[in-house]
Amino acid sequence: MTLTTDCESCEDELASGATFCEVCGRRLAEPPVPDAAPVEPAAAGRKDCARCGAESSVGDDGYCEECGMMAGRSRDHLEADGGAAGAAVSDRGRRHHRNEDAMWLAVGADAADVVVSDGVSASFDPDAASDIAVRAAGELLAGARHPDQPVDTANPDETVDLENLERPAGAVGLAGAVAHAITGAAAAVASLAHTGDPRRAAANPACTIVAAAVRGPHVGYGWVGDSRVYWLGPDGPAEQLTEDDSWATHVIAMGADPVAAMNDPKAHAITAWLGADAGPVRPRVRSFTATEPGHLILCSDGLWNYLLDPAEFGDLVRDCLGAANNLLGAVRALAAYANAAGGADNITVAVIPVRPAAAATEPETTDLSTTKA
Amino acid sequence: MSYTAEAFQNEYLALGASEVNAIVTVTSSGGDGGRRTGGATEIIIVDASGSMQAEGRIGAARQAAKAAVECIDDGVHFAIIAGVSTAQQLFPEPGRLAVASPQTRAAASHAIDRLQANGGTAMGAWLLLAAQLFGQRPGDIKHAILLTDGDNGERHGYLDSVLEQIKEQFICDCRGVGANWKVAELRKIADKMLGTVDIVAKPMELTASFQQMITAAMGKTAADVQLKVWTPVNASVRFVKQVEPQVADLTGKRVEDGPRAGRYPLGSWGQESRDYHICVDVPAGSSGDEMLAARVHIMEGDNEHARALVRAVWTDDTALSTRINRQVAHYTGQAELADVIQAGLAAREAGDDRTATIKFGRAAQLAHASGNTATEELLAKVVEIEDAVTGTVRLRRKVAAEDEMALDTRSTKTVRVGRGQ
Repeated sequence: MTLTTDCESCEDELASGATFCEVCGRRLAEPPVPDAAPVEPAAAGRKDCARCGAESSVGDDGYCEECGMMAGRSRDHLEADGGAAGAAVSDRGRRHHRNEDAMWLAVGADAADVVVSDGVSASFDPDAASDIAVRAAGELLAGARHPDQPVDTANPDETVDLENLERPAGAVGLAGAVAHAITGAAAAVASLAHTGDPRRAAANPACTIVAAAVRGPHVGYGWVGDSRVYWLGPDGPAEQLTEDDSWATHVIAMGADPVAAMNDPKAHAITAWLGADAGPVRPRVRSFTATEPGHLILCSDGLWNYLLDPAEFGDLVRDCLGAANNLLGAVRALAAYANAAGGADNITVAVIPVRPAAAATEPETTDLSTTKA
Repeated sequence: MSYTAEAFQNEYLALGASEVNAIVTVTSSGGDGGRRTGGATEIIIVDASGSMQAEGRIGAARQAAKAAVECIDDGVHFAIIAGVSTAQQLFPEPGRLAVASPQTRAAASHAIDRLQANGGTAMGAWLLLAAQLFGQRPGDIKHAILLTDGDNGERHGYLDSVLEQIKEQFICDCRGVGANWKVAELRKIADKMLGTVDIVAKPMELTASFQQMITAAMGKTAADVQLKVWTPVNASVRFVKQVEPQVADLTGKRVEDGPRAGRYPLGSWGQESRDYHICVDVPAGSSGDEMLAARVHIMEGDNEHARALVRAVWTDDTALSTRINRQVAHYTGQAELADVIQAGLAAREAGDDRTATIKFGRAAQLAHASGNTATEELLAKVVEIEDAVTGTVRLRRKVAAEDEMALDTRSTKTVRVGRGQ
């Protein structure tokens, strides 16, 4: 799910149509509900059934009162449009009956918080796990005092321009905020095992998580599981910044043949996750400062499974960015690519543009690969 | 009164599959502190036909009826009917109901002493009188005990027509004493009146049996609970069965209630839990489709107390669609157990020993595998179980009639499956 009102003090402003948070200067990405017909007030809030066409037939529990079909959950296809600052899409795919992925996107001027989570299908209610994970992590990221993010709560009418208040060397601090956010998400997911359906206790809800905070050229990111972050520079292949907590990655690191390992039925078995049975969660976090313009791409395995070759991944993202006239169009195209390739899993992808400091006029002395430790 | 309803199922169906099964467990916390807030009426019908003189049955029946009266709570309306060729009200005066108190209980006890066995058996007439008396107390929790020792002597079809007229108006638990009554006859009454049927082989066991029934009836706090089942267009309910504490097919008791919904009577409820097996045929969906196959509501009049959703999700992932739900599998087995026992008894009576051996063999296997030891023990009195695991049995040459009847009446008794997935 996507952040809509992370600043409680300014809900009124948002309701009247403002897109910027008057307190912290960030713009909030609203998730448009795609393909949803406008709800007629006369129909007592009930939607028409998309399956059988019956009018005003969708009941409170989401099923059509005529044909019984699930009338499409809101999570089946979610989009978050942060304009030029970022966009994300989460899609059910073609084979799964529900979307167990979840996402969070909050953007401001040259700033973005983004979280992607993929529910573990073998657990009970994995969709609840991913949902609470992105909310918890997203709210913690939004509430974190980032080193380069001054907050003036004294005067809510004054819009803070983050660009003008930019402070250097925030990347390491961002990684700390991401670590804190993932740890908080882990606790939230673990707490689900003892709530709701008793079957949750037997197969506790579990999920992966990948989160990134971008402030100007600084990027902090972290993950648990096999959801990934890629960096796509002006040219060349996409660079995978995360290392999957998966069986395949583990055995490849131990020297196994990568092709054989990825083809093993166990390849996607994850070795770390969020959930009550996960034990103490130690998120891996890293940071870097961009020295050239590029895009940060966060995605679940529903996308990267179809793009194992980093060069192919890079080409596709560039094609999508080039063909679409905005970021939302690009992430839609990426999800459509995964669906066209089979859509075997839920697909979630977020794209965040990152610009180097001062529009790259003063290049930093360290290059990308050495600063992201 | 608070209820919960929980559905247990494997909602994943293979592509093309159209049968949806679920076990719905309904649990009630009972009334306010387990206490009844409304009224209750209890009627005891004792067979006083001439045959009751045998084996001291009438004396035992008198004692049992008196013990039953002692178990009736103060304030509960009650009456006692003496069953002969017509229905005679033994207590209080004809056409009236007494209100239980130490005085009325003593007077009833005194009246029971006058009960003499010297008439015929007219169950239709007895039940009709009970229904007329119950009719004075709309809204009450209504319970009757019917005790008999023989066949109904009324003209053929009369009992059926009475049952059709009074069905579900009150709960009637039927007990047969001795071995000269017909299980099928009492089962028919119990089925129409949402009650139970059992054998009381020895007259001396009657008192305990009556006390147990009255105590259970006094624990009821809701008179008329119903299961409402909604299904989508082009779907149909294949069956609705109570599967615990005993098997009872409710499918034919459906009363339509609005578009695509019907109600099934569950009778009176106290603090208890029962399981229902619901099977719905739906049009098959395509991969990824999710359908609500049934919405199950626990109703009391217009009040909805609880609901459970029975879902269908089509998938091409056979790891999901082939998963067997423990509850559904267990109760499917328990229902089959009741069926094969009754089929075995019927075949045995028809002299078809081969079929009887096959049916009882399967019964032994099912009873053993599901841990239904009570049924396994009853079965062992009718057949020699050589190997319960493979279902190898041999018919016993001499079987006591009451053992056979006990197996018949109790074949529908089920055991509960352990919870958890």
